[in-house]
Amino acid sequence: MKVRITEYLDIDLATEQWCCNRCGRALVGARENYKHGCLVRERPLEEVHPPVVDGGEFSFCFDPDYCRLLEFCCPGCGVLIENEYLPPGHPITHDIELDIDALQRRYAAPRRDGAA
Amino acid sequence: MSGFSYGRDHEVVQRMRPEPMTADEERAQAAIGDLEFGIFRHKMHMIALEGKETTMKLGASTAMRWGDVAFGIFTAPGDLAVCATGIYHHAVLGQIPLKYVVRHWVNEPSVGAREGDAFFYNDPFYGGVHNADMGLAIPVFHDGRLVCFVGAAVHTGECGGAEPGGTSPHARTQYEEGLRVPPIKIGEDFQLKEDLLNMLATMTRDPRTMILDIKARLAAARIAERRIKDLIAAQGVEFFIGALRRVLTVTGAAARRRIAQLNDGIYRQPRFMDTVGTGPGLTRIHLAVIKQGDRITLDLSGTSPMVAGKPVNSFFQGIIGLAMVYFCGWLFHDLPANNGLLEAVDWRFPDDCMVNAHGEVSTSMAPVVQVCFTQGMFLCGSRMTYGGIPSHAVAAWFSGFAIPVYGGFNQFGDPIADISPEINATGSGARPDMDGVDVAGAFFATLSDCSDVESTEADRPFLYTFRNFGQRSYGHGRFRGGAGAGFGLMVHGVPGLALGGMGAGSRFPMTLGLFGGYAGPPTFLRYVEGSNLRAAMAAGGTPRPRRLDEVYEPGNPEQGRVGLHDIAMGVRPFPAGDTLYFGVGGGGGYGDALEREPQAVMRDLRDGRMTHQAAREIYQVVYDPDSLRVDEAATARWRQAVRAERLRQSRPFREFQRDWQRLRPPEPALVHYGSYPDPAVPALPAVANG
Repeated sequence: MKVRITEYLDIDLATEQWCCNRCGRALVGARENYKHGCLVRERPLEEVHPPVVDGGEFSFCFDPDYCRLLEFCCPGCGVLIENEYLPPGHPITHDIELDIDALQRRYAAPRRDGAA
Repeated sequence: MSGFSYGRDHEVVQRMRPEPMTADEERAQAAIGDLEFGIFRHKMHMIALEGKETTMKLGASTAMRWGDVAFGIFTAPGDLAVCATGIYHHAVLGQIPLKYVVRHWVNEPSVGAREGDAFFYNDPFYGGVHNADMGLAIPVFHDGRLVCFVGAAVHTGECGGAEPGGTSPHARTQYEEGLRVPPIKIGEDFQLKEDLLNMLATMTRDPRTMILDIKARLAAARIAERRIKDLIAAQGVEFFIGALRRVLTVTGAAARRRIAQLNDGIYRQPRFMDTVGTGPGLTRIHLAVIKQGDRITLDLSGTSPMVAGKPVNSFFQGIIGLAMVYFCGWLFHDLPANNGLLEAVDWRFPDDCMVNAHGEVSTSMAPVVQVCFTQGMFLCGSRMTYGGIPSHAVAAWFSGFAIPVYGGFNQFGDPIADISPEINATGSGARPDMDGVDVAGAFFATLSDCSDVESTEADRPFLYTFRNFGQRSYGHGRFRGGAGAGFGLMVHGVPGLALGGMGAGSRFPMTLGLFGGYAGPPTFLRYVEGSNLRAAMAAGGTPRPRRLDEVYEPGNPEQGRVGLHDIAMGVRPFPAGDTLYFGVGGGGGYGDALEREPQAVMRDLRDGRMTHQAAREIYQVVYDPDSLRVDEAATARWRQAVRAERLRQSRPFREFQRDWQRLRPPEPALVHYGSYPDPAVPALPAVANG
């Protein structure tokens, strides 16, 4: 049984794996940071936030001394699972750390309405 | 005075959850039927709503006129039970000053609390946010017995201090922030005390607004007092006291049930601020939301230390207040907005960090700190709720302020100081099933409005050269953020005006996307000294540029001495005819932009809400730029190729991390950060040579 966790992530309760919701690929163990199972790249800021003012300190692009853009994608289908804006070198965030034992208990428990 | 020494009461600010039920409240519970209780709640909400509307109709400041109003009905011990507002932080923080009144003044012989009294307060240590947020409340009596309080908390746009407009970005200590009033009795026997009004008026730059706003709050409170007395006459005082307390009890129980539906776990979001008031500087607010069973704990460990000599600090109570914006407006949007919700919430704040200010440090820009935190709350909340209640997951609503602050004289010679109403013209975040709403309001003031430009021009010395949707104002994604508003202001009808900018996000995004959605763009301001625009208009020309995007595009005919500045800019004088351009931003995007329906991209192009560059290079749509017809098959093939290129450019996590963790921001950016990357971990001592 797979449980939906985010737009692009499921957890397979039987195998305790993070899986891509789009292509079904198993990424990494559900007790780990799902980002460990993703492919990562640093995306040039100007590709997503193109500067409009040439050469100036202020444009429509962020300052690379302060900010970088990381993208985490599914190694199977390439869908963008998440991104993260971080200062250079800042540790990548373990943003979802689920209590897998509690998740197993929640879905193992019979539903109140009697449905399977 | 008794009970504590003069100065701050550190105990009372901890009492944000409901007080224990009093014996009177407890006794009344058995006699309250469910039907009567439901009718009671509805009536009380109507009374509060009338109070909010009355305050708005009578007030003078920008924020009060356009809805930045929280009107509440509080129990006799001071808990907020019923509230009409979209600014839930004031609603919840409004109780601290009243608990202060109950603790220190009700039984104090030199002050006391009697029928006809009124209390005023704006000390951010009790109000939680900043000095410009001011409140007034009155005690309501029945046969000489205190039965409740009613009052309004509202942002009045000017509070004295080193700089006009309610914020002092240069403030080094609290003593440069202006008016700071812990709860005082400002009225007795149904009359305001003119000597105190005179003092308050003298301490700010805009005395007319200060006094009108105080009277607006009081008038609304007196109407609510009448309604409550009518209700007590009809249903009895025991019923009233018991039912008011029951509102809190049922709210707390419902909140715990809602939380129990969500997956247990830890949800984290570090947030970064790129300004320390008037210059650049990086700080971190680290949020971990720990959800277990029917409780949530907010853990702020790992946040940068207090920033000495700069105004970018916040009291912890303000952070909890802003967390309530998420709780009341999103997670518990269908529950009563009151502090009963905090029965399900715990918190941990490290000592002496920038979100747990102590001593004399300035908190004048606490609103920027707090909205920065709040977007972390939204993102953690989205990750927490998607699995159980996916409709509650939402990308960040714009949170960088990016508004003008000003002070001087208006076209009628009256002193003025305030912010502009475009604080309420921001775009909301995208959701799992729809784009964010364009110019939706403000996430912290969801029932507010941004005024029409004519109303603002009527008593402010501005001429709007344009105000409309910004094309480059939101985050991209499968669903895009709602667009923000761009606008141009010309100083008009006066010799000059002091103007500056308030906000953050010129270097690091304040408004993040969700699940692969991108952040909104940076905000900054542009000014043109000696602009030729006024002369062009006098000659009969149409004002140009006509949109914020045109300001920065080739062919902009406006000439003068152009300056670009970090959105956080202290006020400086601008003579008549000078122009300034601001863009209050849009919301964060949701999901992979390559999944956006191509027809939705075309719709945005037709509506002028998107650039062709974004359509081609971010959304990767193949279309005819003249007819806006999409080649669906070619788009699908091209997007598949773009995904393949994405895979080719990416590396396994651990391989990527090896190189990534060697990077570091330049040292000048880290002066106020604490040890990098984790401010909670002391840096290793330097090793002496030799």
